[in-house]
Amino acid sequence: MLLAPGEWQIVRFTLAACALSTVLILPVGLAIAWPLARHRWPGKLLVETLVTLPLVLPPVATGLLLLKFFGRRGPLGNFLHQQLGIDIVFTWRAVVVAAAVMSFPLLVRSARVGFQSVNQRLEQIARTLGASNARVFFTVTLPLASRGIVAGIVLAFARAVGEFGATILVAGNIPRKTTTLSLEIFESVQLGHDATAYRLLLLCIVIAFGAVWLSEVLMKRSQLR
Amino acid sequence: MKLEIRQLVLPLEQFAIELDVDLDNARTAIFGPSGSGKTSLLEIIAGLRRPQTAEIRLDGQLFESTAQSYSLPIRSRRIGYVPQDDSLFPHFSVRRNLLYGSKGHANDRVLSFDHITEFLEIGSLLHRDVRSLSRGENQRVAVGRALLSAPRLLLLDEPLTGLDAKLKQTILSKLQSLHGEFGTPILYVTHDPAEAIQICDEVVMIESGRIIRRGDPRKLLA
Amino acid sequence: MIKAYRVAAILAAIIGLHHANAAELNVYAAASLTDAMNEVAAEYGKQSGDKIIFNFGASSLLARQIKEKAPADLFFSADEAKMDDLQKAGLIATDTRRDLLSNSLVIVVPNDSKATIASPGELLGKMEKIAIADPKAVPAGIYTKEYLSRLGLWEKLEPKMVPTENVRAALAAVESGNVDAGFVYKTDANISNKVKIAFSVPAEKGPAIRYPIAIVKDSVNKTGAENFLHYLESENARKIFEHYGFIVKF
Repeated sequence: MLLAPGEWQIVRFTLAACALSTVLILPVGLAIAWPLARHRWPGKLLVETLVTLPLVLPPVATGLLLLKFFGRRGPLGNFLHQQLGIDIVFTWRAVVVAAAVMSFPLLVRSARVGFQSVNQRLEQIARTLGASNARVFFTVTLPLASRGIVAGIVLAFARAVGEFGATILVAGNIPRKTTTLSLEIFESVQLGHDATAYRLLLLCIVIAFGAVWLSEVLMKRSQLR
Repeated sequence: MKLEIRQLVLPLEQFAIELDVDLDNARTAIFGPSGSGKTSLLEIIAGLRRPQTAEIRLDGQLFESTAQSYSLPIRSRRIGYVPQDDSLFPHFSVRRNLLYGSKGHANDRVLSFDHITEFLEIGSLLHRDVRSLSRGENQRVAVGRALLSAPRLLLLDEPLTGLDAKLKQTILSKLQSLHGEFGTPILYVTHDPAEAIQICDEVVMIESGRIIRRGDPRKLLA
Repeated sequence: MIKAYRVAAILAAIIGLHHANAAELNVYAAASLTDAMNEVAAEYGKQSGDKIIFNFGASSLLARQIKEKAPADLFFSADEAKMDDLQKAGLIATDTRRDLLSNSLVIVVPNDSKATIASPGELLGKMEKIAIADPKAVPAGIYTKEYLSRLGLWEKLEPKMVPTENVRAALAAVESGNVDAGFVYKTDANISNKVKIAFSVPAEKGPAIRYPIAIVKDSVNKTGAENFLHYLESENARKIFEHYGFIVKF
């Protein structure tokens, strides 16, 4: 079941863009999940709502917000275009941005549960043994939360690969530049190329299996140290 | 060692802990029935819990002063803590657990890694998965880990709960000579008179958060 | 309780009767016809009781919907290829087919753009992103590709193209400023005050644009369709089409 060269390019691009978006949201996601899991602080409800927004809004609505913000006339887009000559909308960067924004809530939610499951007594013991807060976080909290965090990463990656609504608005479907797996399946169906659509669908299933398998492997490894 | 506790007040569910006491014996037991506030007292000393009011000094250094809104961070107190329940890091091997707080102390002559593992007879456990340890092994490793961080004071909260008599006796004799071997003062919480008598030179008896008596365990608890 | 049910039943009957009397006409028309057709239908509504329901979109999308038995009565396409397609599939009443309109292509730029284009070749140097209706399927895009290919410019300009779902989406992309220029119909440029025409493709040099219309064979309201089709060829309708910039072929 071989793919045409053009299709391989689309698969490579999709996987690369989604890997990048996942890597980008990881430090930010953990930095937000941690205080959400542990403490009470003013503005917490607001942050929780903002983080959950992409999960609850229709993806095209989120795409519209991104378009307004990152477009050449939008606050950030204008700065990037004028000062740095960089465009986001209708380029591969928009694919990464859309994937990152849409998958972010999934990472945060899972990581938060992961952090909440860590026995705080163990963190306290680590402190009695002289560990600084940073050391406690990296040597005790993070490893013990890894179940939830890895699950969050896999979910976020899978969501990124499946992203469509926001992507089509903010990146368009430009052949060889912003066409992702989802967009290609959509276009194939639109044009009546059913055989292509089904082939790509099968590929999506393979990727899904791969993601779940990888997460299981990572889980086992994290328990063996 | 000299542990000065002034005007300690901590409201609990059924009563409030109210203590004013100086502890200066290197092997002191805190004795009382379950729920008398012993664990909370240890937690406050270690810095794991905030009192409502208190002024606490260890060897002259100020640890806690609610009047000045001052609380020395846990990691700076250098107080070892062995809680009642299993407290080893499940994602580390025994060896990594032991070395967690050691920094350079593992090379200290007295509190050396080899010395401690030999004394506690945990040398054979070093590469074991923490989750496969028995309770007795668990507690010995926990004591070893705390010792390896070269604490100024070691707090032990009923560490022998759940062990059979023979095992208890083995570990008890080790704890008995711990101070002699390593020079580390211990504060030992228990509700078992026999443990207090065997290990400690002084006992402080607590009931409903208040000290009711203190003195020689052999006289007060026999 | 029972009284409420009775009132509801009577209301339902009234609404049902009302619908049974006024006929609905489903007109599937190319996106570029949106404004003109809405106005024509409003005028038509003054003299006829029929309710016109429009489905505007890319002609390729509409043709596919009709192939999948969507309930269209009239199909007004922006190119012949889509109509030929349906004709081959036996889905239109061939004797009702006729060419009504033509259009011309223009290059538009955002209002605040300072670019000037004397010929399409200048797009190469001056423009980073150019919006175009999807040249794989949408008539406006197909016409543009045909035109640029004839000029030998398509290969070089293709990497700059941002394909959109229909010609109005291409217009919107230019309006938003997220692309530097776009290929749309002259009629689209006319209705927008956020873009300006930088270059008009001259009629003789441009592609032959034809808007055919036909009654769908499976229409459930053939009489209504005929009446409306007849109205589309009237003086009133012609005035409206020309007002929007269409070239009238009847």
